[in-house]
Amino acid sequence: MSCAASNPQTDARASGAPAAVPAELASPVLYRPAPGEGPTIDRAEMLRYLGYAGQSIDDALAERIESTAAELEGTLAPRGVRRVFPIDAAARNENGMPCIRLAGSTVELNGSDIFRHLKDARLCVVLACTLGMESERRLRALAGQRPLDATLLDAAASAAIEATVRAMESEAMRDAAACGLSANWRFSPGYGDCPLSAQGPIVAALNAGRLIGLTVTDDDLLLPSKSVTAVFGLFDGEPHAANDRPSCSICRLHGACPFRERDTTCYSAL
Amino acid sequence: MDYTLDPIAPVTAALAAGGTYCPRTLDALRIADDDLHRVLEGTRHLLLDGGMGTMLQAAGLAAGELPELLCLTDPEAITAIHAAYVAAGSEAVTTNTFGANARKLGDTATVEEVFDAAVRCARASGARYVAGDIGPLGALLRPMGTVTFDEAYELFAQQARAAARAGVDFFIIETMTDLAEIRAAVLACRENTDLPIFATMTFEEDGRTFLGTSPEVAAITLDALGADVVGINCSLGPAELRPFAARMLAVTEKPVMVQANAGLPRVEDGATVYDILPDAYAQAVRAMVDDGVGVIGGCCGTNPDYIRLLADIVADRTPTAHRVAPALTVTSAQRTVSLPTACRAIAVVGERINPTGKKRLQRALREGNLDYAVGQGIAQQEQGADVLDVNVGMPDIDEVDVLPRLCEQLSAATSLPLQIDSTDPRAIEAAVRRYAGKPIINSVNGKRESLDAVLPIAAHYGANIIGLTLDESGIPETAEARVRIAERIVSEAARYGIGPERILIDCLVMTASTNQAQALEILDAVTACKQRLGVKCALGVSNISFGLPARELLNATFLAAAFGAGLDAPIMNPGSERYMDAVRAFRVLNAEDEQSMAYIERFGAWTDPYKRDARPAPGQDGSTSVSPTDDDADAADPIRHLILTGRKGDMAAATTALLADHDPLDLINERFIPALDEVGILFDKGTYFLPQLMASAEAARVGFDTIRERMGSQRMARKGEICLATVKGDIHDIGKNIVKMLLENYGFTVYDLGRDVDPHTIVDTVRSRGVKLVGLSALMTTTVRAMEETIALLRVEAPDAQVIVGGAVLTPDYAAQIGADFYAKDAAAAARIAEEVFGS
Repeated sequence: MSCAASNPQTDARASGAPAAVPAELASPVLYRPAPGEGPTIDRAEMLRYLGYAGQSIDDALAERIESTAAELEGTLAPRGVRRVFPIDAAARNENGMPCIRLAGSTVELNGSDIFRHLKDARLCVVLACTLGMESERRLRALAGQRPLDATLLDAAASAAIEATVRAMESEAMRDAAACGLSANWRFSPGYGDCPLSAQGPIVAALNAGRLIGLTVTDDDLLLPSKSVTAVFGLFDGEPHAANDRPSCSICRLHGACPFRERDTTCYSAL
Repeated sequence: MDYTLDPIAPVTAALAAGGTYCPRTLDALRIADDDLHRVLEGTRHLLLDGGMGTMLQAAGLAAGELPELLCLTDPEAITAIHAAYVAAGSEAVTTNTFGANARKLGDTATVEEVFDAAVRCARASGARYVAGDIGPLGALLRPMGTVTFDEAYELFAQQARAAARAGVDFFIIETMTDLAEIRAAVLACRENTDLPIFATMTFEEDGRTFLGTSPEVAAITLDALGADVVGINCSLGPAELRPFAARMLAVTEKPVMVQANAGLPRVEDGATVYDILPDAYAQAVRAMVDDGVGVIGGCCGTNPDYIRLLADIVADRTPTAHRVAPALTVTSAQRTVSLPTACRAIAVVGERINPTGKKRLQRALREGNLDYAVGQGIAQQEQGADVLDVNVGMPDIDEVDVLPRLCEQLSAATSLPLQIDSTDPRAIEAAVRRYAGKPIINSVNGKRESLDAVLPIAAHYGANIIGLTLDESGIPETAEARVRIAERIVSEAARYGIGPERILIDCLVMTASTNQAQALEILDAVTACKQRLGVKCALGVSNISFGLPARELLNATFLAAAFGAGLDAPIMNPGSERYMDAVRAFRVLNAEDEQSMAYIERFGAWTDPYKRDARPAPGQDGSTSVSPTDDDADAADPIRHLILTGRKGDMAAATTALLADHDPLDLINERFIPALDEVGILFDKGTYFLPQLMASAEAARVGFDTIRERMGSQRMARKGEICLATVKGDIHDIGKNIVKMLLENYGFTVYDLGRDVDPHTIVDTVRSRGVKLVGLSALMTTTVRAMEETIALLRVEAPDAQVIVGGAVLTPDYAAQIGADFYAKDAAAAARIAEEVFGS
């Protein structure tokens, strides 16, 4: 009898009558590039994570940064899973507040930011990806021994998981476009006022523990640590994104942000 | 035996309370009937059931919903699924309890309620056997995760007791990817029930679990730990799993089980289908049964249609026997070291993690700094060690506490199997119990007290042991007397079910300068032990040369002679090229290095140091030249130059040169510290960014190490002691590690407690070491709460201590609000605050 399998076949237990998922989008999709064929690491993004703001870098350090990125790219084996759920925007949470439920799953997304983001969408793409345990082991092994190399690898790995989630996002958008649907931007638990407590249900709904080895701690952090979950809305025709793009306006750090202090942002310009 | 007396070391505690250890045999188990007994002996097949989750979801279970609760809310539906499998031919059905642990159930239902209901559902199907299902906890164990081994054990023990009380016939522990977690589950079932245990792990296409465990490591480790059936489930189809099953069959004589998936799900015309159909599935399973797989069933995507076809495969058939050539096998979660009894392979055991005679390791251990010892482990792995000996025995060190923690950290940073080395049985058990692998215990000896204390531990956890040839009368002089003690160890071990293939005899090397006549006696004893007892032999080689010059020469010669006599596991320093050259050369002679490939690769272009005109390669003479400096200012102050440019490579030589005519303390205060201050200012102004600050710190660190070696750590100024931690629940420690690096450079002693640290651990350290400054890091808004709680506890328990906080989500206001004394916006700021607090 054994482990729970991911199965897209669900009844509509959720209240209301959420849209059905088109057959072409109903299956869960795995993302598993072969080792070394994963997405490339954006060097500029890696530097931004390291706090770079135009300082002059000598050859030795430049080489160390480049070799960290190149080596990680060569061994990278990211894994991801995504699946489309119908949105139920008529739901209320236990406090009676409007929230987004994903029909056929136990996921409930709370907070006004995510509500604005998804309330007009017909469907929701939910995705999870991770760099896996091997890169986690390397990060942990370096952390106690060679702090600079650990810091460089950490930044490279952050850029790598960002590249992974971007690659999955564009695949999902391509699939959606083929069904005549458009997407708004990707939103993760922890953005704005959407609590991290959504991580557990998202990981469970995607069966991501079994499929990609993702776990959630008691404090709602993802492990391996270089992992991301995200959701975005699918719309008939043009997206009705309430807020146009990720911006500092919904970030709780925007008053004391080291990136903004350096006239940059933690996300790349789009 | 009562395993509840001491959670740290239950076997040792039970023995102390007068218990007698009985090794696990089928006769000691409660086995439902003779047929199940034959299954466990490997002389009868057993057909299990197929997927449960798949069937439930097809019936409308929401994604992410707890299927276990249906045992309570819709028992008829669960029984109907079990009954369909029974009708298809399943002899055993598996309870719908995959995620029925207290962590996943939360407050929805108790573990006992779910197991009671689940077993009732299963029994109602009329199945011949009911298997209690135990799946992963859904959270990662330490060292990579946050759950401790003991917490995992407690969660599984609760399930095991609930399942046994509800009346299951055996356990299926399945879909595990973490060797530490499945060990905890097997031990929980073993120590809380007397029922048989089936244990399976899940492998990806690359033949590894998500955490890097191979089929061999899984089979060897679980077999050793007492699982009665071992195997594979989930992830892939039966054809893909067949080679993994074959790899298990090659290393264990226990019955092997496989429950494969029916491939991947996809939606076709609104219905979920799996890409492997029943016929193809059954055909692939038949091939595995031909290979020797004894217990079969299905996993995700399989249904009664699949099971019906499997029933035909095993009807009127007995399992193909699979015999395994005896070998001493040692495992970590990632690696197996195998020394087959029939041939003479060598395993180098690295001896460097042992504080005896090593001042720097002693100091690190005393300061609670395990990173230094871990660094020794990493270095030995790079130097070619196959196994790491781990010993922390010295005055003032609580081995029961430190040994398991160090083993855990070593398993995160290296992949080598460990040899757990202590004279304290409780410390040995504490470490072996929690070790994710099949270790070697170093050591037992011929004394009655030692045999009675250590052998039960080795038996219970399936560990290998080193047996020292000494007894109540000391170390005998002759080979013959040594062999007699070895014989006694081997026969005592046999009483606990420990065969000679799990024993390494150490005939104990005596110093040639005082016991010259014994050198060859020792080698004779090695040969005799191996021939007569079928054991492997270990030796601590370097003892031979105490008191004589050119020790490495004598050691290497003795090592070569010992290999000739039959030595299998030299316990030595792999950092010695000379010893490792002897190992590499002998691996040609014993045919371990096939076609001499490794030897040729290494020595093909070797410069023989005995040739007169041989010149050492750059760096081999232990020094590197200082690069010419750019300008006069740099030449005048090379330390400043190297720190500002972050060049650690030249730092040792530059520091050594200056030490010739400078007082070390002046050097620190007049050269190093001002340069570091300058870097701090450049970082503050944004002229430098983080990697440059850290490269400077690295370079300075090399200089400080050089000075410390020269003048001894005692004379180094101790500016103050600081305790650092990432707070409970938070797993991010990059920032904290950067702070640590800078603080150490400024001469502070740092007690780094790591990440996800309980407030009480911080308070204990602050109080026991009299620390006056604590640095706390938190990266998530959610974990700032834990930071606030830690500060509140410190205020009560250690009111003298001041607290600096830092981390991405903190602001000065927020820091004040949670009661911190200081807010550090970055590592340089933290160092400045520390300087102010300690008034330097």
